Amino acid sequence: MKGDKKLPNNNAKSKSVTFEDVTKIFKEPQTGNNITAVNGVSFKLEPGELVTLLGPSGCGKSTILRMLSGFEHPTSGRIKIGDTDVTNTAPNKRDTSMVFQSYGLFPHMNVADNVGYGLKLRKNSGPEITRKVKSFLAMVGLDQMGKRSPSSLSGGQQQRVALARSLIVEPSVLLLDEPLSNLDALLREQMRVEIRRLQKSLGITAMYVTHDRVEAMSLSDRIIVMKAGSIVQIGTPSEIYRNPVDTFTAGFIGKVAFIPCEVKEIDSESDCHVSVKGKTFCTSRWSNKLKAGDKALVMARPESLSLGEPGEGIEDGVVSTNIYLGNSVESWVKTDLGNVLVQIDNPDGKRIHDEGERVSLSFDPALTKVLVDDLFHPVAN
Amino acid sequence: MTRRIIHFLLTMLFIILVGFWVYTSVSGEFLRQYRTSQRRTVETVIAGFPAENQDIDGWLKRLADDKNSCKIAFVSEIPMPGEKLPSAPKGDPELSNFLINNEEFANDPEFSKGFEYASYEEIYRSVKNWTVGPHKAQALFFAPAVDIKTREIEGVLVFAFNIDGERNFMSMLNMLFIGAFLLFTVLVWQLILSPDPIIGFALAGLFLITLTFVAYPLFEAFRLSIMENGRFSFAVWKAVLQSEGYLAALKGSLILGCLTATFATVIGFIFAFAVTRTNIRCKKFISIMGILPVISPPFSLTLSIILLFGNNGLVTRWLRVIGLDFSIYGLTGLVIVQVIGMFPIAFMTLSGVLQGIDSTYEEASLNLSATKLKTFTSITLPLAVPGILSAWLLVFTTSLADFANPLLLAGDLKVLSLESYIEVTGMNRLGHGAALSLLLLLPTLTAFLAQRFWVSKHSYVTVTGKPSGRLTEITSNGVKKLLAGIIITVIFILLVLYGTIFAGCFVKNWGIDYTFSLENIKEALTRSQDALFDTVTLAAIAAPIAGLIAMIAALLIVRKKFFGKRLLEILLMTPFALPGTLVGISYILAFNHAPIILVGTAAIIVINYVIRELPVGIENGIDSLKQIDPSIEEAAMDLGADQVTVFKTIIMPLVRPAFLSSMSYTFVRSMTAVSAVIFLISAKWYHLTVLIYNFSENLRFGLASVLSAVLIIIVFTAFGIMRLLVRENANLIKNVT
Repeated sequence: MKGDKKLPNNNAKSKSVTFEDVTKIFKEPQTGNNITAVNGVSFKLEPGELVTLLGPSGCGKSTILRMLSGFEHPTSGRIKIGDTDVTNTAPNKRDTSMVFQSYGLFPHMNVADNVGYGLKLRKNSGPEITRKVKSFLAMVGLDQMGKRSPSSLSGGQQQRVALARSLIVEPSVLLLDEPLSNLDALLREQMRVEIRRLQKSLGITAMYVTHDRVEAMSLSDRIIVMKAGSIVQIGTPSEIYRNPVDTFTAGFIGKVAFIPCEVKEIDSESDCHVSVKGKTFCTSRWSNKLKAGDKALVMARPESLSLGEPGEGIEDGVVSTNIYLGNSVESWVKTDLGNVLVQIDNPDGKRIHDEGERVSLSFDPALTKVLVDDLFHPVAN
Repeated sequence: MTRRIIHFLLTMLFIILVGFWVYTSVSGEFLRQYRTSQRRTVETVIAGFPAENQDIDGWLKRLADDKNSCKIAFVSEIPMPGEKLPSAPKGDPELSNFLINNEEFANDPEFSKGFEYASYEEIYRSVKNWTVGPHKAQALFFAPAVDIKTREIEGVLVFAFNIDGERNFMSMLNMLFIGAFLLFTVLVWQLILSPDPIIGFALAGLFLITLTFVAYPLFEAFRLSIMENGRFSFAVWKAVLQSEGYLAALKGSLILGCLTATFATVIGFIFAFAVTRTNIRCKKFISIMGILPVISPPFSLTLSIILLFGNNGLVTRWLRVIGLDFSIYGLTGLVIVQVIGMFPIAFMTLSGVLQGIDSTYEEASLNLSATKLKTFTSITLPLAVPGILSAWLLVFTTSLADFANPLLLAGDLKVLSLESYIEVTGMNRLGHGAALSLLLLLPTLTAFLAQRFWVSKHSYVTVTGKPSGRLTEITSNGVKKLLAGIIITVIFILLVLYGTIFAGCFVKNWGIDYTFSLENIKEALTRSQDALFDTVTLAAIAAPIAGLIAMIAALLIVRKKFFGKRLLEILLMTPFALPGTLVGISYILAFNHAPIILVGTAAIIVINYVIRELPVGIENGIDSLKQIDPSIEEAAMDLGADQVTVFKTIIMPLVRPAFLSSMSYTFVRSMTAVSAVIFLISAKWYHLTVLIYNFSENLRFGLASVLSAVLIIIVFTAFGIMRLLVRENANLIKNVT
């Protein structure tokens, strides 16, 4: 079967991606048990948007990507690219292209042939291919590398080849499966910027899978946080950071301390009043499942916390470690709540408590959110 | 979608055509058999017609009492065409009544036609079926009743056969084919609608091939061994298991196998140890010499042993001069030849194993102040034990299945592979041959399973793929010298044996007249022209087919999940464990009758080559595919390549070394095949090795030497070319991540 005719012409018109109640159940080969990898997931990517699937390993994010690329087919539900239903379309017949975690470069072809492979399949003419390959190699900064074998390139260069190979066919959706996980920290930062730049300049809809929250925050237009096959939250990076729906998202997206509290009163207009150890605070963000009288948690990011003399704040503790980072100092404080990270911005001129010193924690209620207490609490003895 | 419907229709058309062909041949074959047996009954009965009209009534009564499957009536006065029977027939009352009273039958053209045939002394079978008395569906035979003394026709015997069996069979067959057709329709429809129909078709093809050419012949062989005269019976097995000759053959095979395996493993271990664990010189040369015998043509080592130590051998005569008389034929000779021919198997297995043992263990032991000997006995040897065991088993099964060497050298020793050949070709007892070769399968299969499930589980060799570069010697100089001595001796023997063959080409008449002559070469080459052409052609056809199928099968096994994967693997791998004689016998059993008649064609030989060498090719393919990151193929597919394009542009280039080596392996093995092919050759398609055997049997050792030399040259050249190509390719695709 030749699918050539159905492949897109080379005009980049980005398309939306829609998942409608998609479920994927795998059968475990040894035991025959069913494993639900993706459970009733629905979302929509707008054209030209870069959305990251973020979650711990095994949460189903790669399965979603593989269903979108066609390597897996959903057990139920529908997937659409633009207006076309691609739920059961073979990978070679759909207009997506993927950058693999291990790059998947063809070891028996040189760099230029790798990049030109997709064009060749689309029956482009020889000179056309040469011209395009040249321009895309230039775009990823590998102009001189066309004749080299992929195995002779560094990890970052291989990554760029893979990227160019995916972009050259001008897909309507670009898929990236943890593309940076095999690179060292510095390269990762560079490539992050590079990927974002290329995606924006080409205006391609892109779906990015990662378990690295920094990567997700810095790249995405929106983030989809996943847990155990289901979507927990969809939102912009700042929404998810500042306004997580539950303790899982709060903890997954950044450092956080949870301070037990009791909801006193919810003023539906704007305020939630909570009491922490007898002191009352007023926050503007709270989980809408809460009602007055509930035991709840105040989610406090390191930058919303501050240190003071013992007894001043809501919880006493001992400074265990100070980490000097230049623009801030991170103090780890050992308290009955656990080890809490306090970030002190612009530390010059501020009081930095010594390691071993007794301190107390305070928080700025304006920067916090009150969440339902869904943490597992061991029975205190 | 239209495209898919066209595909569907074309495939269904193909299936219908094939189905129709199979249906007609199966039903035709059955009906022929069925009617032949009826006709035979008729012939037997009329042959016993009493002479001179003595006691016809008594004779008819006896026939009726015999409980024949048919009713018989005797018409003494043959009616004229268009007339009724003048008098009532004798014999079965129902049939007589039918013949004289049934108007419809009497007016049918068949009635007069039957009597007319019979009066010309021919047997006529009614085309229509008739209802005789209460019995429906009876086929009528008209046969002449001839007086054996006077040779005159005394009347006509009419037979009525019940054809319920035929009808039942045909309706069952119809049901079966309709069922199969519906099943196929559903399957094909599913395949066409699935996202990658090509995978489905490849799978269907592989299942079809393996079921037809692996499962079916084996089933036929088994079936024949439990049938006697068309009925289920253990007679064959009883005969086989109780006869002393067969027991002797079993014993002979086992003793030979044990001795060969033990010696070959020892020599193989010495070679492997020297090459992998010491810094002995000329490792490459030793390795090559250690592999050569396994690809040398059959009969070649045997031939040179006979040239040297046979009854008229060079050495024998010389020994006779100093008063030593011995015979190389029998166990001793066979053990020698097999050990030389099969130690490479142990060598190759054990070098892999020994290479996998990290030197660090030995260093640790030495570091804890163990002596070198202690280190060897307490570290190296125990780690190698599973490998040694599996090498032993491998040689053991090879020795048991070996057919070529015993054929020339067994003397009085009986071995199973040879006995089954004699049963089939000498005595034409196919059932016995099948039973014997199935018996041979038992130890082979046991060894194979033991290797697969016990030894491989108890293997300590860690497959890190990174044998450490360093080598710590644990051998003292004295030991090394001893090893070197043994290795040099073995290599010397090998070189002498090969040299003898080449010398044999240029000698006028070995054993009698040692003058230089080119006569043999000339004669051998002219006489072997056709066989040589056949052999090379068929091997060259089989090689790419086997290589391609092996790669496709490996791809499906490694990369795809599908129902029945385990079964397919077993079917594909089974031929590896099958002795050649069993394959040969089961092929002639299965493919000399409908629905598939292949005996005597080139196809059966090529198919046999392909099926037998597939397992090794598949293993090669699996190993090399497992090293290729699946995302490479996914990337290609993602960029728009369909399954076929991925296979052509990505997989084939990447597995080319495996493809090339399995191709050349098939070629070499096919060029040197004997055990199975000796059953399958025909006057039209001959094999060089069989010709060598024929020449040797007729004591034309000169001719045999020439042909052996030719085969050696072809095979070694092919092997060398393959090594070069593979090395080039392997360099090209380094670092396949």
